[in-house]
Amino acid sequence: MSKQHVSTVINGNPVEFLCQPQQTLLDVLRNDLNMTGTKEGCGTGDCGACSITMDDRLVCSCLVLGVEANGKKIETIEGMSSGDGLHILQQKFLEHAALQCGICTPGILVAARSLLERNPDPTEEQVRFWLAGNLCRCTGYNKIIEAVLDAARVMRGA
Amino acid sequence: MLTKTKFVAEDLKVVGTRPIRPDGVPKVTGMAQYGADYSLPGMLWAKILRSPHAHARIRSIDVSRALELPGVKAIVTKDDFPEQSFDYIGPDRVAVNYWHMTRNVMAREKVLYEGHAVAAVAATTQSIAEQALALIQVDYEVLPHVIDVDDAMRPDAPLLFEDMITRGMTPPPTKPSNISRWAEFKTGDVDAAFAKADAVVELSFKTSPVHQGYIEPHACLARFGADGQCEIWSSSQGHFFVRAYTAKLLGMNLGDLVVHPAEIGGGFGGKTVVYVEPVAAALSRKTGRPVKVAMTREDVTRATGPTSGSSMTVKVGATKDGKIVAADAVFKLQAGAFPGSPVLNACMCSFSPYEIENVRTVGYDVVSNRPKAAAYRAPGSPIAAFAVESVLDKLAQEIGMDPVQFRLKNAVKAGSPTFWGPKHAHDGYAETLQALMAHPEYQKPLGKNQGRGVASGFWFNGGGESTATIHINEDGTVMLATGSMDVGGSRASMAMMAAETLGVPYETVRSTVADTASIGYNHVTGGSRVTYATGMAVIEACQQIIKDLCHRAALTWDVKDEDVIWENGHAKPASPEVGSFEPLSLKAIAAKRAVTGGPIVTESAVNAGGMAPGFASQFIDVEVDPETGAVKVLRAVCAQDVGKAIHPSYCEGQIHGGVVQGIGWALNEEYVYDKQGRLENPGFLDYRIPVASDLPMIEALMVEVPNPNHPYGVKGVGEANIIPVMAAIANAIERATGKRLTQLPMSPPRVLEALDA
Amino acid sequence: MLDEVGKLIDPPLVRVVFTAGFSNSYTGGVREFQVRARNMRGVIKQMDDLFPGLGEVLEEDTNVSVDGELHEVVYTQPVYPGSEIFFMPKLEAG
Repeated sequence: MSKQHVSTVINGNPVEFLCQPQQTLLDVLRNDLNMTGTKEGCGTGDCGACSITMDDRLVCSCLVLGVEANGKKIETIEGMSSGDGLHILQQKFLEHAALQCGICTPGILVAARSLLERNPDPTEEQVRFWLAGNLCRCTGYNKIIEAVLDAARVMRGA
Repeated sequence: MLTKTKFVAEDLKVVGTRPIRPDGVPKVTGMAQYGADYSLPGMLWAKILRSPHAHARIRSIDVSRALELPGVKAIVTKDDFPEQSFDYIGPDRVAVNYWHMTRNVMAREKVLYEGHAVAAVAATTQSIAEQALALIQVDYEVLPHVIDVDDAMRPDAPLLFEDMITRGMTPPPTKPSNISRWAEFKTGDVDAAFAKADAVVELSFKTSPVHQGYIEPHACLARFGADGQCEIWSSSQGHFFVRAYTAKLLGMNLGDLVVHPAEIGGGFGGKTVVYVEPVAAALSRKTGRPVKVAMTREDVTRATGPTSGSSMTVKVGATKDGKIVAADAVFKLQAGAFPGSPVLNACMCSFSPYEIENVRTVGYDVVSNRPKAAAYRAPGSPIAAFAVESVLDKLAQEIGMDPVQFRLKNAVKAGSPTFWGPKHAHDGYAETLQALMAHPEYQKPLGKNQGRGVASGFWFNGGGESTATIHINEDGTVMLATGSMDVGGSRASMAMMAAETLGVPYETVRSTVADTASIGYNHVTGGSRVTYATGMAVIEACQQIIKDLCHRAALTWDVKDEDVIWENGHAKPASPEVGSFEPLSLKAIAAKRAVTGGPIVTESAVNAGGMAPGFASQFIDVEVDPETGAVKVLRAVCAQDVGKAIHPSYCEGQIHGGVVQGIGWALNEEYVYDKQGRLENPGFLDYRIPVASDLPMIEALMVEVPNPNHPYGVKGVGEANIIPVMAAIANAIERATGKRLTQLPMSPPRVLEALDA
Repeated sequence: MLDEVGKLIDPPLVRVVFTAGFSNSYTGGVREFQVRARNMRGVIKQMDDLFPGLGEVLEEDTNVSVDGELHEVVYTQPVYPGSEIFFMPKLEAG
């Protein structure tokens, strides 16, 4: 089957690519566009390591076809920091040691940013339930939750 | 060279603080490269064909149709891997047998589990490789299979190996079986002691195998050149063993293979073995092009080693005032398709926290048709502890003693004997129990359907071979390299120990992990050994370089080496009589390096001993829903003797992570097989590991009883924390409901069954 | 070996202990031995003299505890008069 042409905006930049109709967006990002920051943990939408936002909606890119990105705004981990600084979430993750192996970190950061855009003052329980779709095997989630709550506090100017 | 480095750490400036790790920014920005993130020009994709049967003889493999598919460049089967001789090499508890290993990587006569690799294809795209797999024709003669450990031990069980005679039994059995090994450890006379005990409890237990559950599937990139030189980029817990095993399986010299350590997305013991590297290297050799292999999640669950399932019986006797007088246990552990369950560890760790005069533990290593077991966080000890700590809990109830007090009364300390050999050399266990008792929540009353469970655990912790290299850069900053893969922040703790020893700011020390061509041998990142043993190599290297720096200062001052000391990152005259020289910084000495002898570098290698074991004690509060059987963890307070927390955040992180893995092991995780021996839950949806909404904040209590053999008092931290969790939860459920569960996982259907019984 | 005034002195006596299983396999069921040695090399050599081939097993397949302190098997590891030297199966990591 011949490839389809897709036009999209990724992390604020216009990007065009060709992909097979059955290719997932995760596969396109990692293997065609060389954006390996988004990770594959399971390929079936259960682990959240491939989390991105598509038109500001948090999705698993392994469950999105490359062709579905046409005309949409995609944001990945590579676009999270700007200029020479880190996003406050990224900074807080480092300060709180909220990562050990770091493989789940890109997905969790994208998911956490999405949460804070909707709810700038979440409770611990709300953070836990929002991140329930992002598996972490190393940290037990403790420091991740603390980092997200701390980042939220800073972002509110509290 | 093993030397006891002698200085005692006081007034620490860096050790014990919480700086940011050097690999942090790449990891939070998606720039860090893991095994699946590498590519090279002209790269091919590989896919592995796996057996659909749990047990079958391979009559033939026909790859001809697959080879004809455009885009397919090569296919490998067992014929591309040399046969290995049948020999158990190396240490008994972790003996390597390459005859088994090559068969686990690529099946030869038989497939021994669903998912067993049978062939591999390299093609120009992933989808072509997938299509090619479907065109490979394998003629199987399906055989009866057996999975459960008790079933595999029955005399009429289907045999995986027709000639397997149990090792360790004298005299050896006359008939083959699935029992690859038998072992016994004992001291005293258990039978006589039981006869004299006031209270005796005996229970039997069954546990399911559980997977380490690392989020990153195994992946690597291999580039084999026409000159016989190969490079591999892979994520593993030890690039030196990846080199050793891959070279052996391909029939190569070690010097012709360089392994680059990719970042690793979790291991927990499961990445101390090879699956994909030899396959990628063999395909690259055959095609002359770089080859990338990445397992799917289903491949990982179907074909990579979990820890063992088990069947156990434990009997313990005590006097009515709480002295344990006898302990007897039988541990039957499932090795999977090839021998090598951690049954010896289970036998030895089981009663190690306690001073008991009469002990016997017997272990069976049993093969069965499921993936070969691999190490998982303190391998064997958590399994044994589930049984032992449950029996101790029941015994404490029978004699009417608080479970922590019961353990404290029998707790080992420095000088206490072990039942399998040497005396304990270190304190630390009692301190973890005392930390629990002192915790304000320990006495907090609980409500309806709630219960509190206590348990402890012991793990040896490792030492062994590590190498560290230090260079002083021309501007006085410091390059530090070791060969220990960083799973949890060890680059930070290495840099911290170096900065502390050299007396320089943490920010001036850059810590990296070097590849196999660039540094001396390093044993695996596992066994809770890196902060200890690699730390010692780093500290020794620092001490050597301090000597060198002082020597160069002496040269520039025209004084003797003994007249120079090192203080706060500067060379200084040892006394005013030597002369009034301004202190020289690293930068100043580095500026003069050419005339004082050339580059300022050193390498230090250790085979570290004197490590102290890990002790962990926990209390966990749960609430049981009587209608659904769901168990909610309300609170987990986890004390562990860490010796000295170099970077407290990373120590806490180990405790949090291990405890949550234990919670998954206790409540949800298991393998579900159908009647054909095929796995029904290979994905993360149904192989359910804990998610953030399942859990409370885990509380880590770091108890510091320093290890005098390490300059900063370090004891290994990574593993002991998982050991007590399952028993603590079982004990908590018992207090909440009056029912004791003896089977893992304690999932809602099992809890309901117990409640309704 | 000479002392300060040049007199020949024997290396001190140490106790070498094995697990029951190990002794059944390698030392005819005998679990404890007394040998004279100053360091691990001496211990291993003595045991190898008693049971040819045992030396390599001790070097490759065991960890050793000297008076309770756990060590890798390294030739230069010192042992002291009356030391208890316990060889045991090597460790597995996870």
